[in-house]
Amino acid sequence: VSDTIEKEKDEEETETETDPPSEPEKKPEKTKEEKKDDKPDFATRARAWIKENPDPFIGGGLAAVYVLWLLATARSLGFSRDEGFYFSAAGDYKRWFQMLVDSPSRAIERGPIDSIWANNHEHPSLMKSFFAISHMVFHDKWKIFEDDSTAFRFPGMMMMGLAIWVTYMFATKAYSRRAGVVAAIALGLMPRVFYHAHLACFDVPIMAMWATCIYVYWRSEKEGGLGWALTAGLVYGLTLETKHNAWMLPAVFLPHALVVHGQAISRHAARSSRIPVPTSLVAMATIGPAVFLLLWPWLWNDTLPRIQEYVNFHVHHEYYNIEFLGRTYFGPPSPKSYMPVMILATVPTITLLLFAVGAFDRVRALVERAAIALGEARGRRLAWPKVTPERDRTQTDLLVFLAIAVALGPFLLPRTPIFGGTKHWITAYPFIAIVAGRGFDLVWTQLEQLIANRTALDARKRFLAQGIVVLLSFGGALATTIHSHPFGLSVYVPFAGGTAGGADLGLNRQFWGFTTESLAPWLAENAKSGESFYFMDTAWPSWVRLIEEKRIPPTLRGVGSPADAELSIVHHEQHMNEVDYNIWTEYGKDAPAYVLTHDGVPIISLYKRSGPKPGFRSPRR
Amino acid sequence: LEKDVLRSARPRARLGALALAAVPLVGVVELALHVKQTTVDVVPDSDWLDARDMVKAEAKPDDLVIFAPFWADPLGRRSFGDEVAGIKREARPDESRFARAFEVGIRGAHREELEGWKLVSTKQVGKIAISLYENPSPAKLHTDVLDLVGPESMTVTSSGPNGAEAPCPWQRGQGQPGGLGVPQGPAVPGDKFVCPSGGYVGAAVLHALDHHPHLCIFAVPPGPGGAVKMKFANVTFGNSLHGHSGVQWVNERTPSGERIQVAFSAFDRPIGQNAHRVGVGWTGFEFPTPELAGKKGDLVAEVSGSGPRAYCFEADTRDVAP
Repeated sequence: VSDTIEKEKDEEETETETDPPSEPEKKPEKTKEEKKDDKPDFATRARAWIKENPDPFIGGGLAAVYVLWLLATARSLGFSRDEGFYFSAAGDYKRWFQMLVDSPSRAIERGPIDSIWANNHEHPSLMKSFFAISHMVFHDKWKIFEDDSTAFRFPGMMMMGLAIWVTYMFATKAYSRRAGVVAAIALGLMPRVFYHAHLACFDVPIMAMWATCIYVYWRSEKEGGLGWALTAGLVYGLTLETKHNAWMLPAVFLPHALVVHGQAISRHAARSSRIPVPTSLVAMATIGPAVFLLLWPWLWNDTLPRIQEYVNFHVHHEYYNIEFLGRTYFGPPSPKSYMPVMILATVPTITLLLFAVGAFDRVRALVERAAIALGEARGRRLAWPKVTPERDRTQTDLLVFLAIAVALGPFLLPRTPIFGGTKHWITAYPFIAIVAGRGFDLVWTQLEQLIANRTALDARKRFLAQGIVVLLSFGGALATTIHSHPFGLSVYVPFAGGTAGGADLGLNRQFWGFTTESLAPWLAENAKSGESFYFMDTAWPSWVRLIEEKRIPPTLRGVGSPADAELSIVHHEQHMNEVDYNIWTEYGKDAPAYVLTHDGVPIISLYKRSGPKPGFRSPRR
Repeated sequence: LEKDVLRSARPRARLGALALAAVPLVGVVELALHVKQTTVDVVPDSDWLDARDMVKAEAKPDDLVIFAPFWADPLGRRSFGDEVAGIKREARPDESRFARAFEVGIRGAHREELEGWKLVSTKQVGKIAISLYENPSPAKLHTDVLDLVGPESMTVTSSGPNGAEAPCPWQRGQGQPGGLGVPQGPAVPGDKFVCPSGGYVGAAVLHALDHHPHLCIFAVPPGPGGAVKMKFANVTFGNSLHGHSGVQWVNERTPSGERIQVAFSAFDRPIGQNAHRVGVGWTGFEFPTPELAGKKGDLVAEVSGSGPRAYCFEADTRDVAP
């Protein structure tokens, strides 16, 4: 059935192609010996192939630079709450992988599976398995990473590399190499993305897999053939295994496939009374779930109830507190303006502006194509557009906009929780960057014309001029991203007023308690050995890792309540004022010994108990 | 016609082309703004310390010191210290008791609590503006019951549905200021009156619905038909009894029909009763007491409610302008 679609596609392509392929010149056949002598060696052939196909390598280079940047800055970024839980889960899964090597038959028994994979079974296994394997290989065996945490985090960073690579490839193949480079830069220079890219979490991985899955599907539509379709199925399975955002991908693929294959489907259905389905979709619907089940040992027993439990956990996820424009939201209805305002406030303005330019251009092209199609359907051409737009059989623009709309759309619904800040729609960002890349193409074209009116540009000067324009465009985004570290969640873009502007607007300052590590210099200088420290929103496993890796003075003793602590902290978020005031009550004073700030905005207040634990004394004026 | 259309379109197209070519300049502006926001706009610690010295030299004990915007409060408390920006000032019930206020503001911010106050002067200390305001109608306080919390000036009893009263002795112990999760609920102070019914009476800082701190007396009623009775000794009365009540923000944010009452009496005569409905936030009440003005005696506050809710109130006796 799926082959029929391919056949129809081929027919369609044949119909549209007007230039007959030129006949290659026939040369006299060479002997076997001559052929052997002429055959270049592997290195020469590889060089030639790279020269012909430089894009995977350019994308790889951009990705590699970014991953190195992440590795270089990982040590100074504290551990978020969720990382603590995933470190712990990955530690358990490591035991299972070791068992799988040592005693495979024992490893697949229900007992070991249920006892080990029960840890954090509300999320699929792929990334945590990577965290575990990375730790086994890069920390335990090869000792490449000194910090356990860097080994756990490395797969997440590599996923960011994948996201950069796919973004580059998609934009390059869809629009231009220049668009590809700019798209990759735009994605990498989003401060929030830079923060999340460090973490042993699932947000950047799902962003990478969302983009990869759409890219592979697009290539399968473009190139055809079983290989790409099977790859689409496999990648969709891996995406399902990364995070539950993958459940929404059919809302990207199905409307797109309907538009691309609608005519072919209806023609075929009329002829045979059967509805043909594109091979890639068939692969995603079959291979995808199979991969999902195969890679998650937790689902190997009691499969249906456990899938049900997994679905229920996310469908009925509790709402956490999040501040937006001075108000803490903790349940439905979520404000509709949350997502657009947060995008405006956190994505560099130049990226959004380039996106707007690119989107205007691509939407116009889409509408023009729709008008042409409408005219064809009615049998007479409409007055507009006058010029027939370039035909795109794979409807790339539509796919890109669907990828953005499906990622963002749920955040306009009142029941969608908003506690994750921008990370829950992070899957839209590679495609926003791709459209921004297209926008840059248009901007450069105009600039080039202006320059050409004044001076001639040779290839070298043209390349240099483009570099300067990219640097001018993204200088602010680069500076903001560098400066955001390690306070990535506190930072707002300069046009929103920066970190202080975000505080003025009443936007969330942080979550997950990861900024505790940034107290290290003060603690090293001021905390006494053996002092007890209440670490508030930092999760226990994250605290343990901070201590084990000596990121904060290991002589401190972590405790779970200010009642037991000589030093207590509060991570500043509006709803955590409660903790602040409770410390005042417990310590009988309200003056912090130290306030950790970013650009003059309080991130953490640290209180020091005066004398022995006295309890609260009713203060006199 | 075609020529006309082209001619009229040309300037528009040229403008569009220029606008497109100018897009990279937005990146340049972004960079310039970033540099400004991360350098010259940041208030240095030295400015905060200079501001503290200036306010400390001029502020009287009954003046309010307030930081603007509210998010800068931790910076102000750190620099000004407990002496100038202590709990009583920071976790005040309202501003009506203060005759003057020093507003220490950055980024041109102004606190809405001082709307209607008269601006007397403004001085600039580095990047900090210190403005002195005068309250057009300050109240004259006689007794703040929060100052009486403790075994010396206060007794507490609790009663069940049968009306039998049991004393709630004063205990000194470890506080319970919460753990690692949020919401934590209010801190239970270490020093408090502990009732046999399980409730307690003690002073602590409430996180109110407006996310601001309010120092108040937590009194947990024992349940339907029961009450917690507090007797404050040697209270000097004015022509009014003024107070506020609330429950922890996390309860207030989900309005319910639940009500907690506080009834005041003195010299065996009722003064007034206030019912706090969960969901309204930190709200004030005022009972005129002209017949008690100038007298000195015990003030009784009796808290009752339908459940063991951590209710918090504060009250003072004062003279207000008629």
